[in-house]
Amino acid sequence: MAIFKAPVDDTKYLINEFLDTSELNGNPMFDDMTPDLTDAIFEEAGNISESLLFPLNRSGDEQGCTWDDGSVTTPDGFKAAYDEMTASGWGNLTCQQEYGGQGLPHYVANAVDEMVIASNMSFSIYMGLTIGAYNAVNQFGSDTLKKTFLPNMVSGKWSGTMCLTEPHCGTDLGLIRTKAILSNDGSYNISGSKIFISAGEHDLTENILHLVLARTPDSPKGIKGISLFLVPKINLNTDGSLGNPNNVSCSGIEHKMGIKASSTCSMEFNESKGFLVGELNKGMKAMFIMMNGARIHVGIQGMALSHVSYCGAVDYAKERIQGRALKGPKHPEKAADPLIVHPDIRRMLLTMKAYTEGARALSTWLSFQLDVSHHADTEEQRQQANHLVSLLTPIFKSFLTDMGETVTSLGMQVYGGHGYIRENGMEQYLRDARICQIYEGANGIQALDLVGRKLPAHMGQYLRYFFHPLSQFIEENADNESVQMYIQPLSKSFTRLQNASLVIAQKGLSNPDEAGAAASEYLKLFGLVAMAYMWAQIAVQIKSDAGSMSEEFYDAKLKTSLFYMQRILPKTGALLSNIMSGSDNTMSLDAEQF
Amino acid sequence: MKIETVAVIGAGVMGSGIAAQIANAGKQVLLLDIVPDGAENRNIIAESSIQKLLKAKPAALMHKRNAKNITAGNLEDNLNNLADVDWIIEVIIERLDLKQDLYKKIEAVRKPGSIVSSNTSTLPLAVLTAGMPNSFSDDFLITHFFNPPRYMRLLEIVTGPQTQQQTIDALSHFCDHQLGKGVVHCNDTPGFIANRIGAYWMQTAMLDTMRLGLSVDEADALSGKPMGIPKTGVFGLMDLVGIDLMPHVLDSMVNSLPKTDAFHEQAIIPDVVTNMIADGYTGRKGKGGFYRINKTGGKKVKESINLDTGEYATSVKPSLESLKPGIAKNLQKFLNFDDKGGEFAWSVLSKTLCYSAGLIPEIGDNIEAIDRSMKLGYNWVYGPFELIDKIGVDWFINKLEATQQSIPPLLAAAKGKSFYRFHDGQRQCLTLSGDYQTLTREDGILLLSDIKLHQQPVKKNASASLWDIGDGILCLEFHSKMNAIDPDILAMIYTAVDIIPNDYNALVLYNEGTNYSVGANIGLALFAANVAAWPQIEGMVKSGQDTYKSLKHAPFPVVGAPAGMALGGGCESLLHCDAIQAHAESYIGLVEVGVGLIPAWGGSKEILSRWMTNPKRPKGPMPAISKAFELISTATVSTSAQEAKGHLFMLPADGISMNRERLLFDAKAKALTLLDGYTPPEPLELTLPGQTARTALNLAVTSFVQSGKATAYDGVIADQLAMILSGGETDIDELHDEDDLLTLERKAFMALIKNEKTLNRVQHTLETGKPLRN
Repeated sequence: MAIFKAPVDDTKYLINEFLDTSELNGNPMFDDMTPDLTDAIFEEAGNISESLLFPLNRSGDEQGCTWDDGSVTTPDGFKAAYDEMTASGWGNLTCQQEYGGQGLPHYVANAVDEMVIASNMSFSIYMGLTIGAYNAVNQFGSDTLKKTFLPNMVSGKWSGTMCLTEPHCGTDLGLIRTKAILSNDGSYNISGSKIFISAGEHDLTENILHLVLARTPDSPKGIKGISLFLVPKINLNTDGSLGNPNNVSCSGIEHKMGIKASSTCSMEFNESKGFLVGELNKGMKAMFIMMNGARIHVGIQGMALSHVSYCGAVDYAKERIQGRALKGPKHPEKAADPLIVHPDIRRMLLTMKAYTEGARALSTWLSFQLDVSHHADTEEQRQQANHLVSLLTPIFKSFLTDMGETVTSLGMQVYGGHGYIRENGMEQYLRDARICQIYEGANGIQALDLVGRKLPAHMGQYLRYFFHPLSQFIEENADNESVQMYIQPLSKSFTRLQNASLVIAQKGLSNPDEAGAAASEYLKLFGLVAMAYMWAQIAVQIKSDAGSMSEEFYDAKLKTSLFYMQRILPKTGALLSNIMSGSDNTMSLDAEQF
Repeated sequence: MKIETVAVIGAGVMGSGIAAQIANAGKQVLLLDIVPDGAENRNIIAESSIQKLLKAKPAALMHKRNAKNITAGNLEDNLNNLADVDWIIEVIIERLDLKQDLYKKIEAVRKPGSIVSSNTSTLPLAVLTAGMPNSFSDDFLITHFFNPPRYMRLLEIVTGPQTQQQTIDALSHFCDHQLGKGVVHCNDTPGFIANRIGAYWMQTAMLDTMRLGLSVDEADALSGKPMGIPKTGVFGLMDLVGIDLMPHVLDSMVNSLPKTDAFHEQAIIPDVVTNMIADGYTGRKGKGGFYRINKTGGKKVKESINLDTGEYATSVKPSLESLKPGIAKNLQKFLNFDDKGGEFAWSVLSKTLCYSAGLIPEIGDNIEAIDRSMKLGYNWVYGPFELIDKIGVDWFINKLEATQQSIPPLLAAAKGKSFYRFHDGQRQCLTLSGDYQTLTREDGILLLSDIKLHQQPVKKNASASLWDIGDGILCLEFHSKMNAIDPDILAMIYTAVDIIPNDYNALVLYNEGTNYSVGANIGLALFAANVAAWPQIEGMVKSGQDTYKSLKHAPFPVVGAPAGMALGGGCESLLHCDAIQAHAESYIGLVEVGVGLIPAWGGSKEILSRWMTNPKRPKGPMPAISKAFELISTATVSTSAQEAKGHLFMLPADGISMNRERLLFDAKAKALTLLDGYTPPEPLELTLPGQTARTALNLAVTSFVQSGKATAYDGVIADQLAMILSGGETDIDELHDEDDLLTLERKAFMALIKNEKTLNRVQHTLETGKPLRN
């Protein structure tokens, strides 16, 4: 049976020992984040996700959402769970206190998110989208909009969506057709069709606030003529109470491979009243802000599903007895040894573990950088962190969601045939994880964003804030004999990443196809090195000054780090060869020859 | 006959500018003007003009000491001095009566056979010489300089039927060789060549801008790069020349051109321009022009005038579809494009090109002379006929027919052909008869662009080529973006060093870009630094050092022949040559500190060695070290080849060519003179004092830092430089060879490029073209 144990210990370790938060010392928001407080948050988040959400995961998948004449019903138990989660404040961790939020930093909130997602990804989507919408309105909306809508979003009374995709355009949003016509009262009439709208319609909240991309009649063509509007499902009366429906209808829900308990809706707007968020024709700017946060969130989804799959796999590998250890029986008293004695099972489990824990370290560090980019004292610090986050966001999204597919697939593999049947719940993770590689900008698009925008920006300036500290870290530890088994593989793969970066930058200038053909593999190479950087830091830290976790915990970390260095990181060599082979092997076949 | 002394009469902006250029050529000039009523100092006008020359921007004098070549005088006391000069240039106000009065006075005193010329731009020669004695007309011509005379390369010469051939030849030779001008012989028609076409073009562009409702920013963006006109565009150009000149130019054209001339259609001054002139908005010399810089609020904001309202507003970058690179880079697409921009481009270009074609043979019978005039006098990238060739003669004719514009006979004669062709090894151009005539270069002019017409390069890569320029000399041409030195250029230098000893005799570094080289390609280095690829960067530095060193010690002579900017790594390439033959307008310097670095391709070493081995240097190493330190730490760029000699970027034996077109020929000649008994330079050995010198140099910098003239980081950079120039970490005088100094350069460079502040400087400069003070 699939089981779930929230990664509370690992999270505590990462926050209390691994993460260096000194850059925000003295900032009141962060000084409050004492281990006492954060440990309590993580424990409680672990409890509620294990006891409340995880039990609804498989039933939700089996039952799915149902659509009936415009209304959508979520699976049994979702509404009650939603009410409990929002009532206890789990839906608004990063929201500002003035609107009723918790005002927590990202590195704490994202750790909680992982637990919620791992326990029930479909459920988490309803809460996650509200935060995305909150961020856009909070950053770009007028004061009136904020006062009118934010408190009820923060409390979870109303939920939010992001309406981008239309039947004929997804990646290329410049083609959007949804119209916005100015009316006399300064609001807009929004008309058009949107598809693939997560949480577009459901029975969890009394109102739903749609953030809709649309264009006004005389706006410039393409991406520069798109504006963002807030369109409520139910109009508000002047006193703020709910009024008439706003001609927003759900014409159907999709039947999907995974995340079946999350309603994926087709929405119709018919002269629905909408309010401009931000400046006219600057909708993409606001959308990018939302998407950056959302992309990190999707990366965390890949990691969370990896974690829950790992929980199930380890449990099964210890319980299930089958065959004998190669060097002779380990448990002669039993009919067979447990799966975990077999090297190939261990290969799978360690791969899952090394990826998942490496990803968690990366997530903790990146989330903290996001906090630095918002809250550091100097503009220079904020900007550097912002550049770093911009650089790492596409990597984090793609690398962790590709990893999610790999790890959940391995988790199923450990179960053998019992993983492939639905009863044990392992195949659900793979199905749920698969969407993460596709939505919020497909992984190929992330790779193009990396090589096309982030890499060449200001002649590689963004890279500086990743490469320099890493280079310095390697230099500082060059003479430390006890950690060479971690540092040398890191150093080797780092050189590969440097060479790949130089080659792509140079070749890409004269032939963009060179950069395009190398993009996905370059992103993967980058992700592997970034994760190795985390694992090496963990090892160096433990070797020099272990903290208050158990000896066993640290020993496992060191061994997992070594496994990563020796059995996963060498992939960078093959990736570099691929990149160096150029674009000809990819581009020379005529379209007719396919 | 030879011209050794010159007199310029009229000490206004043009007169004194012409005098300055003659002084730049090392000739003595007498500058005369009238005695103002009741003046105590009777030379006051000429004298104050010379003072202004010393402060002029851009500089009129190539070296301050050239002012000594100009003698101030006045037309009352010094008239008799005209008897001693070989050439008298009249540059006074455009009034026939005053000019002829002056000519009579000149005629009375000048020596027989001396030359007299007028710088008039509006009065025909026939009118100027009417009623003058034959002896005067024999020696008289018009020499029309363009402003500013030092920098504008066009000189229009107009001769009358009586002007003696030897007079014409002598003067042309002098203006070409000594003053560096591109001489074009014109007919005696209004506006001669350049202003006739140029004024028509500017008027057409201005009126079409208003007719189509374009902004001045849009019009300038359209008429700039896409049409091959300098990036100032037409309104920017009018601001530069002076808007108040327009009515005068138009008046004189309107009064002297036949009523049938198409010029009249464009000779309208819009009210908005009349008002601008009345309000003092005459261009850059006035309160502003079509553009102005608004400094209110402490920030400099560029504003443009709205031609409809006359109000200024912040300049807006044009966003016309026709300006998109895919369109603006293809002339046919651009001219056909269906928006206001395409309409404007077609209207202005078609009218201007047809007008030009229709002026043959009236203003001259040689289309090349016309193209040359527009290129040298108006800085067009292509002359009108070259432009038609680029558009395509037949395409142009078809579109003219389609738009019902009339087709001038010369253009009709070109149907199915092109105006220029390369035929039987000759450059040829079309004549009115429909035949081609062969174009020849004067003796002493050697151009790579000509060689390229009939030769393949000996070697070529993406950034550099080697050309055989005859007599066993190879020319190494840079052609990377902005001629920045990159690994390909370094590789080509190696190739040259490799192949010359077997098959050739000498090497010339020369190219025909706007600038010889703006320095090393630091974009590559910046990217490598951003990814912390330190070994690769050190490799790039080492490879540049090794390459230049191999150039210096190659067993054959190497001559560097710069024109325009030769900065940073470009300058360093010159410092490793045996000799330099520079265009007079060469701007040479080691500017690395501006981007937080120090010269590390042997530049610090070479400039130090030049000052240390300077026979004139005072005793002890300190003065030489200080001088090198000063030049590098202040990023000194010489403003002319003459000044470069003072900085020892060039040595006393190095040559200067006044005429850009003669540079390669002169450089080749220089290389040939070095061939006989050539031996490579002796290995360098310098005794340097170490720590004490470094301390002394840093002391000076510290005071700059403390007084706020330099930033703390400037101090860090200067210390790295001091480390190299003092010989590194030693407390006693120590002998250093070339490699020791190169190692010090490399160390300093690596220390600096690892610093975030240096990377920010490099990035800022690459992105904005401006230095960052951090």
